[in-house]
Amino acid sequence: MQALYAQLLVGLINGSFYALLSLGLAVIFGMLNIINFAHGALYMMGAFCAYFLLNIFGLNYWYALVLAPIAVGIFGMLLERTLLKWIAGLDHLYGLLLTFGIALIIQGVFQNYFGSSGLPYAIPPQLQGGMNLGFMFLPIYRGWVVVFSLVVCIATWYLIERTRLGAYLRAATENPNLVRAFGINVPRMITLTYGLGIGLAALAGVLSAPINQVRPLMGADLIIVVFAVVVIGGMGSIMGSVITGFALGVVEGLTKYFYPEASNTVVFVLMVLVLLVKPTGLTGRAT
Amino acid sequence: MAIKTKISALMLGTALALAASTGAFAGDKNVKIGVLNDMSGLYADLAGPGSVIAAQMAVEDSGLTKKGWKIDVISADHQNKPDIGVNIARQWIDVDKVDVLADVPTSSVALAVSNVAKEKNSLLLDSGAGTSDLTNKACSPNTIHWTYDTYTLAHGTGTALTKAGGNTWFFLTADYAFGAALERDTTAAIDAAGGKVVGAVKHPLNTADFSSFLLQAQASKAKVIGLANAGGDTVNAIKQAAEFGITSGGQKLASLLMFISDVHALGLQTAKGLNLTETFYWDLNDGTRAFSKRFQDRMKNHAMPTMVQAGVYSSLLHYFKALDSLGENPHDGAKMVAKMKTMPTDDPVFGEGTIEPNGRALHPAYLFEVKSPAESKGPWDYYKLVATIPANEAFTPLDKSTCPLLKK
Amino acid sequence: MVDVKTAPDAPAKAGASLLEIRDLQAWYGESHVLHGINFDVRTGEVVTLLGRNGAGKTSTLKSIMGMIAKRTGSARFDGHELIKMHSDKIARLGVAICPEERGIFASLDVRENLMLPPIVRSGGLSTEQIFELFPNLKERLSSSQGTKLSGGEQQMLAIARILRTGARFLMLDEPTEGLAPVIIQQIGRTIQRLKSEGFTILLVEQNFRFASTVADRFFIVEHGKVIDGFANSELQANMDKLHTYLGV
Repeated sequence: MQALYAQLLVGLINGSFYALLSLGLAVIFGMLNIINFAHGALYMMGAFCAYFLLNIFGLNYWYALVLAPIAVGIFGMLLERTLLKWIAGLDHLYGLLLTFGIALIIQGVFQNYFGSSGLPYAIPPQLQGGMNLGFMFLPIYRGWVVVFSLVVCIATWYLIERTRLGAYLRAATENPNLVRAFGINVPRMITLTYGLGIGLAALAGVLSAPINQVRPLMGADLIIVVFAVVVIGGMGSIMGSVITGFALGVVEGLTKYFYPEASNTVVFVLMVLVLLVKPTGLTGRAT
Repeated sequence: MAIKTKISALMLGTALALAASTGAFAGDKNVKIGVLNDMSGLYADLAGPGSVIAAQMAVEDSGLTKKGWKIDVISADHQNKPDIGVNIARQWIDVDKVDVLADVPTSSVALAVSNVAKEKNSLLLDSGAGTSDLTNKACSPNTIHWTYDTYTLAHGTGTALTKAGGNTWFFLTADYAFGAALERDTTAAIDAAGGKVVGAVKHPLNTADFSSFLLQAQASKAKVIGLANAGGDTVNAIKQAAEFGITSGGQKLASLLMFISDVHALGLQTAKGLNLTETFYWDLNDGTRAFSKRFQDRMKNHAMPTMVQAGVYSSLLHYFKALDSLGENPHDGAKMVAKMKTMPTDDPVFGEGTIEPNGRALHPAYLFEVKSPAESKGPWDYYKLVATIPANEAFTPLDKSTCPLLKK
Repeated sequence: MVDVKTAPDAPAKAGASLLEIRDLQAWYGESHVLHGINFDVRTGEVVTLLGRNGAGKTSTLKSIMGMIAKRTGSARFDGHELIKMHSDKIARLGVAICPEERGIFASLDVRENLMLPPIVRSGGLSTEQIFELFPNLKERLSSSQGTKLSGGEQQMLAIARILRTGARFLMLDEPTEGLAPVIIQQIGRTIQRLKSEGFTILLVEQNFRFASTVADRFFIVEHGKVIDGFANSELQANMDKLHTYLGV
């Protein structure tokens, strides 16, 4: 039983990453109507950005937590301005192919320069060590990841569902032409939204740097699972993607305990089941 | 290069039709070496472009070009996929007239390419692959397995650690053939040394998060946690084991397949105290140091050679010696292998050794412990030697080999 | 009664042209929808565009608003040429649109819908003034979804939200469509009130009877062109022509 609690908690940790990444995907899909396959590559860039900040500029983890999402977010906005805006309004397939190509290029460039086994990034001294919860030894850093991601997810949800800016975003998702005719610079808002979604991915990258190796393919491995999470949660649903992210982390954790061989596939099995029963995802609205 | 090769591999049919045998003519001193490995994936750092550099160094150090030989080194990326590896190998042998397929890591690819080499009477000098099947049930008169195999890893790490008091083990095993073989071989070694395996968990290949598995290993209270996996999986498992306080809690981690490139990626702070078995380390003696410095200067990221890369150098050097003594290139794989087996091996990198009738190259192996950051005197100063395993203990004894070639 | 203030920044004097449309042409992709529209709107008047379905009335409004990307000719508003401007810039000049089918956002609640358009000029109506104009909106303010309101309430919400912004030139696209007579009357009174407070209004209507109660002048749109125009006072004299144009 104790072991089970431990697995649940561990599941929540992975869920944090799923939630942050699928949240970014949902925000981007809602506003740009693009399935952003470059998400994993930009998540990886966030981790690398943290590594560069530390090793080139001597700026530690806490700076990285702020600066890396901004830097990668700006990179994302440049991508949107230079490439993605040309495919606005076209079929999903174009966005999918374009972002997938962007991901391959980014990953290829990083692989060329940094090899494939990755670079080390230490846990910040303030968060090292762990505490004994009785049923498990919880590394403090992992606890931090869960709490911090939850805060970020809730803040993002609040921003989109409860603020004026969020109202612009939701309205522009429905009818961008009319929102623009009210005097709001919608193209700029789209760019900023993409930047926000990418910033969330980069933030997840920074959070994961001390846990996983900082390596060029770290995002490619993760992103497929995250897409499954998004599909299960319902494309474009903010709260849905957050809750599904955490929940699937837990489900995966339980699978690792009861039947570890299936832990890589359980998410996809669930995805198939959900699609069969409710094709718009658990919280998705039929459109 | 790799893409070109793949495209042309698609036109295999055409290629085969054109591949009319040109036949060797007397005094032929043209040689073509093909380095076939993972150029961009998870094994690219331990083999990859570094193996190509090692091959070029072997060409230069052989001194054959001064004697009028013309030796080309080409390379391609098999992407760790047997079908791609086989296509490239066929195309190289049939169209490009490649004499030696070198390196070929990833056991499944190596086994497939070994078949191609045999079928076409070419030559496979395998350095990167781990499976001991290459010199057992899948042995071939056209294949020499150079650097290490699962038997080496199991007996190096398994036996030595068990004897040193680590007598209860828990395995984290990658859920595919290589992981299972490694777990099986190591379990045998542990049992033989008087230890006991108390549990094991299979994890999927390419797992980013090991925390669940590590918690299970922690709960088992085993003295040693054996990692029967490779590459990124090993690195992640070790990194996260440090985080969950496994090493500080008194359990020892033993990585059954680990390369210096992995230790470099982990950093000493995380990797310190790890036990691992290798057959080469750059800082073993003057010979290895001299080779490694030259190698390092040529690497884009100034990495020291791994044992796989060193093995490519060493195996090719021996091949060139055999060519030299023949005086011409017979373009006959089996003949070359037979010649190589009759000559003792000796080079500054792996030292003196022999090649067994089943194709197994023998040389000592070493059990290392990873230094702590305080013990390390500088970049790449990572290992301290714990024990040297003599060549006859590091590899499957000939009487236990299941190689059909031996039954004749 | 509500003390609705004069529309903000009232231009120099009533009677001057606030909007001048000259040879306005527009395309949806490859399809040419406006073939040369000409008309004026003077400050403080209510002008109605009449015409059959598909004649180009809505396209005219959208072109003025900048919501159709490909357009040529000239549309001058208060001295500014709109033809090369994006719609958000046009809105910032004090032009506001109440689109056909109201454009209420389903993912926004009623309050958010009301508060959505940003203030572009000073002097827009306060929320108190809006609630005095549309008392039912106040009760429904906390309703979860804007689209859960009745059609009449949605129409009022769509008009109300552009009154907040300080825009002094309002374009209303078929505000009476599909509404009950009593609601239509209420909207008519609202338009007259707005006019009396100095707003300039460009109306698109199929409901000729309604239009005749509020409009100062009419223009007839057919096949993407303005083919005729007359003042409300000339209405009776032109009744026969109107019947022909509108097919009523």
